[in-house]
Amino acid sequence: MNELLKELYQEIILDHGKEPRNFGECETHNKSAHGHNPLCGDKVSLTLFVDDDDIIKDIKFSGEGCAISVASASLMTEKLKGKKLSYAENMFKDFTDLVKGSEESLGTIDEDDSLYALKGVKDFPMRVKCATLAWHTFKNALKD
Amino acid sequence: MNKDKTLHKDIRKDFPILSKKILKTKDLVYFDTAASAQKPQVVIDELNQFYKSHYSNVSRGVHTLSVESTLRYEDARKKVQNFINAKSENEIIFTKSATESINLVAQTFYDKYMSSGDEIILSLMEHHSNLIPWYFLRDKYGVVIKFANITESGEIDVNHFESLITPKTKIAALTHLSNVYGSKIDEKVSSICKRNNVAILLDGCQSAAHLKIDVQKLECDFFVFSGHKTYGPSGIGVLYGKENLLDEMPPYQGGGGMIGEVTTDKVSYAELPAKYEAGTPPIVEAHGLGIAIDYMKNIGIENIINHEEELTKYAYEKISELDFVKIYGDGDNRNSIISFNIENIHSHEVSSFLDVEGIAVRAGHHCCQPLMKHLGVNSTSRLSFGVYNTIEEVDIFINALIKCKEFFIK
Repeated sequence: MNELLKELYQEIILDHGKEPRNFGECETHNKSAHGHNPLCGDKVSLTLFVDDDDIIKDIKFSGEGCAISVASASLMTEKLKGKKLSYAENMFKDFTDLVKGSEESLGTIDEDDSLYALKGVKDFPMRVKCATLAWHTFKNALKD
Repeated sequence: MNKDKTLHKDIRKDFPILSKKILKTKDLVYFDTAASAQKPQVVIDELNQFYKSHYSNVSRGVHTLSVESTLRYEDARKKVQNFINAKSENEIIFTKSATESINLVAQTFYDKYMSSGDEIILSLMEHHSNLIPWYFLRDKYGVVIKFANITESGEIDVNHFESLITPKTKIAALTHLSNVYGSKIDEKVSSICKRNNVAILLDGCQSAAHLKIDVQKLECDFFVFSGHKTYGPSGIGVLYGKENLLDEMPPYQGGGGMIGEVTTDKVSYAELPAKYEAGTPPIVEAHGLGIAIDYMKNIGIENIINHEEELTKYAYEKISELDFVKIYGDGDNRNSIISFNIENIHSHEVSSFLDVEGIAVRAGHHCCQPLMKHLGVNSTSRLSFGVYNTIEEVDIFINALIKCKEFFIK
């Protein structure tokens, strides 16, 4: 099997793509946004509950899309739940660098990080948008 | 079949890009001609040659280069006229794209023949380029848009279409050949329009290079297609319109070349076709389209059709044998396009997988979001054939599809 494909579709991606975590809508939320990739039609809806200390107490997503976009959304919610907004914003940058293949990302998201599984996207430039859809939606939700 | 094989072996040599290796190792299998066709060497060479030896602006000036450019530009118009069997050169307008052609018709047809409350009929399987220009009219002027249903087999429901017509219906704009189903429009639709005094625009983007086009037999008032899907360059589109309509409708854009006389108070307009060609047109691109038409004619439109029919039939049968694949539409009335999904695998995954096997297919909504909604899917994969494709490539594709399913569904 082709190495690039193996790299792109690691077990964890296929697993989260098939059985996404934190799927649905937060029971109570104070921030939300819809994301949409007009080129392919993939959609994601994100709800968040952020407390007074800027901690993401709850985060859930729903929508439909390819394995990469669903897995990325799923991994994102796992990553950000319980974290401070400032952490999340830094992570946004590190993650987008990672999937675009920017050098500087390599220090912050290392091999032990679950998000590292999406590194293979960098060899499929047309799929970067799939991987970043949830993250851009998250950014928009913060403006809510 | 054997004869066909020799035919396309030579044809493949005409397209330099087909010798490209994908990821340095895989032979390119180009199954995305419906998005854009590859270009034969002769078209590439002619574009080059035009800029090297003949280029100037057209229809302005009397020097040698201006004459050489104008002759080539106008010669391309004659080739297009002949290609689609229009009655007159005046009925062929060059635009930058089929999209621009449809926008032109929507706006100028409305200006001349429609008013608020009038009705337009589209179908649920139109490309966005044959939806949005009409939505503009709905938003701006309050025209009413009705949508003809699509049958299970992927065709316009002719009875439903007819039932939508009222005395207020002024125009129907429909795809001649669906870019998702590959289905050709029922000829009855044109006669129904004619009988009810409704104008009809056919979107020929997918048909121009894959069917024999005769706008007079089709009984259409407008026919649009693009250069890049017919083995020509991008940046050139065609609008065919019946001469009396083009005569009556107002110009689309104002600028150089479309005028009769200009004073500080008023303007009169040029005769057809210049009336609709404001500004410097896509000169070299028009010439390139003319060369592409010559190229297709040299192979023989009938030969192209037969070859693609054989490919489509073979691919349809082979894919139908795979129980994990759903094909949209059925096998009859299918021309060079097959849209499908593998159960539980998103089209992006299919397309990325096939890509590393060297196979180019389209994944997504095909600029047909209303149709995707109608089908209850988010996207599909689509293979589409051109004159250069082969049965062997279909076999490569089928094997890859099986591998793809095994990769994702263990």
